[in-house]
Amino acid sequence: MHKRLMVEAFIELADTLVDEFDVVEFLQQVTVRCAQVLNVSAVGVLLADQRGALRVVAASTEETRLLELLQLHTNQGPCPECYRTGTPVSVADLSAVASRWPRFVAEARQIGFASVHALPMRLRTDVIGTLNLFGERPGALDADVLRLGQALTDVATIGILQARTIRHHETLAEQLQTALNSRVIIEQAKGVISERHRVDMDQAFQLLRNTARTGNRRLSELARAVVEGSETL
Amino acid sequence: MVLVSDTNIRDTVHATNRVAAELEEWQLTFGQGPSVDAFAVGGPVLVVDLRASEYSKIWPVFTPAALDSGARAVFALPIQIGAIRLGVLHLHRTRPGALSARELADALAYADAAGALLLDEAAGIQPDTIDLAWQQDDPTAHYAEVHQATGMILIQLQSSAETAFARLRAYAYAHERRLGDVARDVISRRLRFAPDPPSGDHHEE
Repeated sequence: MHKRLMVEAFIELADTLVDEFDVVEFLQQVTVRCAQVLNVSAVGVLLADQRGALRVVAASTEETRLLELLQLHTNQGPCPECYRTGTPVSVADLSAVASRWPRFVAEARQIGFASVHALPMRLRTDVIGTLNLFGERPGALDADVLRLGQALTDVATIGILQARTIRHHETLAEQLQTALNSRVIIEQAKGVISERHRVDMDQAFQLLRNTARTGNRRLSELARAVVEGSETL
Repeated sequence: MVLVSDTNIRDTVHATNRVAAELEEWQLTFGQGPSVDAFAVGGPVLVVDLRASEYSKIWPVFTPAALDSGARAVFALPIQIGAIRLGVLHLHRTRPGALSARELADALAYADAAGALLLDEAAGIQPDTIDLAWQQDDPTAHYAEVHQATGMILIQLQSSAETAFARLRAYAYAHERRLGDVARDVISRRLRFAPDPPSGDHHEE
């Protein structure tokens, strides 16, 4: 575990939480920082849609294969299991659970993952989603790394609650739905950019995010403007 | 339930009783209230008790009028798919109280169903409840690819996202295919949509 990275991560995330911010972008920031600090290859966040399903809302890489792996396995696999039980699910070696979750294991291994650690996003008695760590090598995470992972997961949960819109008494349900819809807007915007500039979805996302950062704009606001046609990149 | 135009709440399309009708009437008249905010924010606005002091500050005209009408708790759920904003489903209670998790899940499902029906209507599909159930059961309907494909189609058609998504759904329906599978064809550029197809069919390469 890298102390300097850890310090930087918490300072950066705390800084974001003080101001107005974009939930999806914040969650993405958490996933990127998690991957660095915990030294895993990829991180993804799933949120409960409050209709009984889990949805992908952010990932450390927008690489389509990771998003597909997450969205295909919201019913079976370590992530939904973690959501249902509200406790961490650690799979140190995916090949050992192949009989339990055959499709998830096959697809995860095909991408190059060997281990998965799913951490619950808990708020009092509710579990609102999971933060999932994917490693390229088999192996358990040591206790300190898992504790740090849970702390970063809790920061992500607080971030969802903290995001301000136009009023100041937002409920969890309001924030979750808004975050999930923001993710949909970003996907729609990726499609617009991909078709207009003849680039793939990953490149489209990079273009969208870089434009938002350069212009100091909220990601989902820019994405909405792109979909509504009031702005072209 | 209210429908929206591109930028504003437009009209009440259905109200189950007098109180519901009046609540929408106030919001259309005053330009403030939970439906107005739900539309602006792009997320639900859930008010457990309108008598809580903050609401007379947030909606100074709407709140006393709504309380006069007999509403105590109000819940406004946007009917939306990403940047596509179709309307707001607005529920109220005459007594204070939060929606339970189950009630919220049901309300969100109703808002989704209303959205599907509005899109089908826009695409010229005669809505029917069996088809609706079939669509709601499609596990691929929420895949990221569906929304990405919508973005691509709106450029191909030079249309709104609403029209693009309606056409995507109509295509899946007409070909009895899952939404996510059709979306993948669009993303891999095996399927393109053409503006105003003469027969309602789309050009497939």
